[in-house]
Amino acid sequence: MTAAASRLATAGEVADARRLVTSQGLLFEEGCDDVVGIYEGGRLAATAARAGCVLKMFAVEPDHQGGAVLGALATELVRLGRAAGEESFFVFTRPEHAQSFEAIHFRLLATHSRAALLEFGGGLEAYLDRHAALRRPGRHGASVVNGNPFTLGHQHLVETASRRVDTFYLFVVREDRSVFPFAARFRLAAEATRHLPNVVLLDTSRYAVSAATFPRYFLKRLDEVAVAQMQLDVRLFAAHLAPFFGIGTRFVGTEPFDATTAAYNGAMREVLPQYGVALVEIERLKGDEGPISATRVRTALARRDFDALRRMVPEPTLAYLRSAEGTALAEKLAAAAGGK
Amino acid sequence: MVIARKASAGTMQSSDLTVVVEPAGRLEIRIESTVKKQYEDAIRERIEAVLARHGVTAGLVQVTDRGALDYAIEARVETALRRAAEV
Repeated sequence: MTAAASRLATAGEVADARRLVTSQGLLFEEGCDDVVGIYEGGRLAATAARAGCVLKMFAVEPDHQGGAVLGALATELVRLGRAAGEESFFVFTRPEHAQSFEAIHFRLLATHSRAALLEFGGGLEAYLDRHAALRRPGRHGASVVNGNPFTLGHQHLVETASRRVDTFYLFVVREDRSVFPFAARFRLAAEATRHLPNVVLLDTSRYAVSAATFPRYFLKRLDEVAVAQMQLDVRLFAAHLAPFFGIGTRFVGTEPFDATTAAYNGAMREVLPQYGVALVEIERLKGDEGPISATRVRTALARRDFDALRRMVPEPTLAYLRSAEGTALAEKLAAAAGGK
Repeated sequence: MVIARKASAGTMQSSDLTVVVEPAGRLEIRIESTVKKQYEDAIRERIEAVLARHGVTAGLVQVTDRGALDYAIEARVETALRRAAEV
């Protein structure tokens, strides 16, 4: 019988956890909601942590591996997570550990040579169930956009792509880690595409470009971890979302600026065809001063350059940027730019 | 007994199960089990017996089982129900 895991709260306990995590070549991340562990004979035998819906830093002393320790850690993290209001939990791990998590009823969402993504709690099924009414017969296309904020470039992409398919699914990134809040990003995307009758809007929940599938996207740091994450993100889309909605083509704008997004497009180019999904890259809309991007819109907003903004965003976005909410964001952006 | 709020019981260990109950308009039982093929009906029967004993007529009951025996199933379901009913 393995001892139950309990929450590590004292500085000494957390130091033990840090030592164990680091000893296994993992990075001890600060700012987790819960760190749990199992002590045996006064020594920390196993530890793991939870940050929101993501379970991480599973580290087990070599002489305790392969037993019931993993179940004990996951049980306690899930219990604490549910008490904090989370319903579904993700684990991002090495592919050789995926099976151990599957044995305790985690579902494998995506895997590739470097990493695997698993979920506990049936979130993906619930997400798909919730959107079952949006399924239609035919050949469909899709894009995933953050829309931070929605620009004429996004609008051009959706207009061009939606003409080529029966239904066009526009997924708006749900994760609230961008300058513009999700509610505003979603509403501006809806208003800018209202004239297109075959466009269906939906949020990505946690199943594309989220803290679970692709946290590095929000850090804009292109490293090995980011590459592994985008592989999983694209595979999750191709293996689960695309077949559910009948999506045969994913559309993206060409990416001239941002290295992370360019690499993400590259991952799609490589992976999607393996799942029978085509990738179509649409030339980015060019304004007077080169390709339009949300980054340039944010820069212009920080300077309150509404002449430039008018040439880069659709009417609903412009109205939002002029609103009290938009003004507050402009001040935040200007302060951040000034601070650099 | 009425399921007033979300509650859970049990562990993910082998020979145990986790039970999560939450309020819902109608009664629904979802079972995930390593021995689902052979024992889903038997597990459902045990859960229904506990629900009936407590007069529960509505709620979502989600069970994740790793080969628990009958008495463990009954005890975990009962514990989850009591936690869900507490004020």
